Amino acid sequence: MKNHQISKAGLAILCLLAVSSFGWGQAAVVPPPQTFTTTVYFDYSAFATTNGYLTSNPLSNKFHFRRAYFTYENKISDYLKFRFRYDADNTVNITSVDFAGKSTKKDDKLRPFIKHLFLEWSQDWLQSRFNIGMIETLAFKPSEDRWGLRSVAKTLVDGYKDITGTEIKATSADIGVSWKGALAKQLRFALGVHNGSAYSHAETDKFKKISGYLQLVPVAGLSIIGYGDYEKQNDNQKAVTTKIDVFFDMISKINISFEWFNYNNEMYMNTDNSHYQVGGFSVFGTYKIDPDKFTVFARYDHYQPNSRLSVKDQDLIILGLDWFAWGATGRLQPNVWIYSYKDAARKQDVVFNLTFFLSF
Amino acid sequence: MNAKWIKIMVLAGLTLAVIFTSVLMAQNKMIQVKGSDTLVNLVQILAEEFMAKNASTPIAVLGGGSSTGVSALLNGTTQIADTSRDWKQKELDQAWEKGIKVTLFALAIDGLSIIVNEKNPLNELTMEQVAALYKGEVKNWKGIGGPDMKVSLYGRQSNSGTYTFLMEHVLKNKPYSTDMKEMNGNAQIIEGILSDTAAVGYVGVGYIVDKSTGKVMKGLKLLNISKAKGEAAFSPLDKDAVYSGKYPISRPLWQATNGSPKGGVKAFIEFELGVEGQKIVEREGFYPIVGPLAEQNLKNLK
Repeated sequence: MKNHQISKAGLAILCLLAVSSFGWGQAAVVPPPQTFTTTVYFDYSAFATTNGYLTSNPLSNKFHFRRAYFTYENKISDYLKFRFRYDADNTVNITSVDFAGKSTKKDDKLRPFIKHLFLEWSQDWLQSRFNIGMIETLAFKPSEDRWGLRSVAKTLVDGYKDITGTEIKATSADIGVSWKGALAKQLRFALGVHNGSAYSHAETDKFKKISGYLQLVPVAGLSIIGYGDYEKQNDNQKAVTTKIDVFFDMISKINISFEWFNYNNEMYMNTDNSHYQVGGFSVFGTYKIDPDKFTVFARYDHYQPNSRLSVKDQDLIILGLDWFAWGATGRLQPNVWIYSYKDAARKQDVVFNLTFFLSF
Repeated sequence: MNAKWIKIMVLAGLTLAVIFTSVLMAQNKMIQVKGSDTLVNLVQILAEEFMAKNASTPIAVLGGGSSTGVSALLNGTTQIADTSRDWKQKELDQAWEKGIKVTLFALAIDGLSIIVNEKNPLNELTMEQVAALYKGEVKNWKGIGGPDMKVSLYGRQSNSGTYTFLMEHVLKNKPYSTDMKEMNGNAQIIEGILSDTAAVGYVGVGYIVDKSTGKVMKGLKLLNISKAKGEAAFSPLDKDAVYSGKYPISRPLWQATNGSPKGGVKAFIEFELGVEGQKIVEREGFYPIVGPLAEQNLKNLK
């Protein structure tokens, strides 16, 4: 095809598109409510100790990027919603690809990846919500919602790997389906089936993770959630997570929560031939001095880091303030993290973070 | 004491100072009222009248839709949530989970008004016809005895209580036509209808009367509504018809608090529900609360 023929064909396509779009514009269909939101948080970290287990390097005070989310949500109808969320993580040493040089290299650049990509179908029947796609998993969503300070710290199970360095195959998103609903105001439930390999790994086996919880609300302001998930690791061995959350909201402006979990993976064995099993608990509370301005928070976590390697338990205390300095758009969250270790050889770490939370 | 602990003490001291300051700042806080756009103008006027006599009790009134008000009460970011629909079971369950005791006050009665452009020759519709229009089953006015022109639907966004009320009570929980233009508020619906001869819309009765003339706003026509074909049609301006239920799409407009109101919030609600407040309700085109709803209000105030 000669150049001028290509130009004519291109022009024809453009005209067709223009006519088509004009036609659409004439229709009275109004675009459904769509929202684009961005949330960013980063810290200025100051190390109050220089001889602790984590801080003995020594480390320099620094700005520390944590997260950037870009979320597109489309409310297609009263019963159908779509969410697409990009997440840019603190991706130190991620591998970049040099296509020209046909090589890869490691760098500290921040790169986005898809975190959520799901359709939500709501039904009045049992107040049901079905999610299909790259969905939010069920393991720690209730406690994350209750804590509400992911910019300061992930909750116990979600942040377990970050704190202890040990993988427990707990992820906040995965490909699959979930169903949440309510049998009565005192009893809610959730069920999920997903790959079990999380949003950042390809599924490599035929086994899927089955998860679910029952939430009991016996009296107003008191919730008890029993959670479990199960996934075969191979034909003979399985991994099981059990978890209990208790949320106490019976005093105005004060929330006190408790989270306990246990993870058992038969594929990993301890040095004494017992099954690999870890766990921990977390107690956290918030006090909303003024819900639009100030919330103070405190948290105590106890971790069993890794029974396979016989690393001893550790504790984490977090204290801080959530200040809505620019309303919901800009929040300042000064917080202190105090790590202590059962292992006498490990000295305490104290880190102060000024967390900047921006959402627009 | 080594340098490490000095740093910790300084940080702890700073944190305490910020907390102390924040507590002091929280002492003289403003009463927040959020929610229904149908109620926002009325409650703003009530708040202004109240603040004229109670300068030490500042009140901020925001719209955003009934769902916005409900969310704000559940999140603790408002003391009063305005809604132009009943609370949904799901919302009451969420409140139960969070330990929030939803206490309701009926502030006014509204005759939800179906309006068209004044050039539309129709004068009345049945409930069934209103539903057929909004479900998109009737796409031309000719289909219900009107002129030969395509129906242009105006409504609210899904966070609006009026959107939900009409869907539940008129459309019987069937979805709206995808052709409906979802407007931000009552004023935007009225603007659309004034400039569109094929338009039909729904707004609270307090929005259609021109305060200077006491008549329906120029350029608009208010349709009478009947319960069914062959039955008498009534206007939302007919107070007796609204109270008796002969006008079929009347509704209470609600305010909700967490538990029994106290302090400034209680004083404001008492003012709204008192003689003076209810006169303002009527002056602004809505209807005052009477009968069992008024008795329930008094019980909930105690």
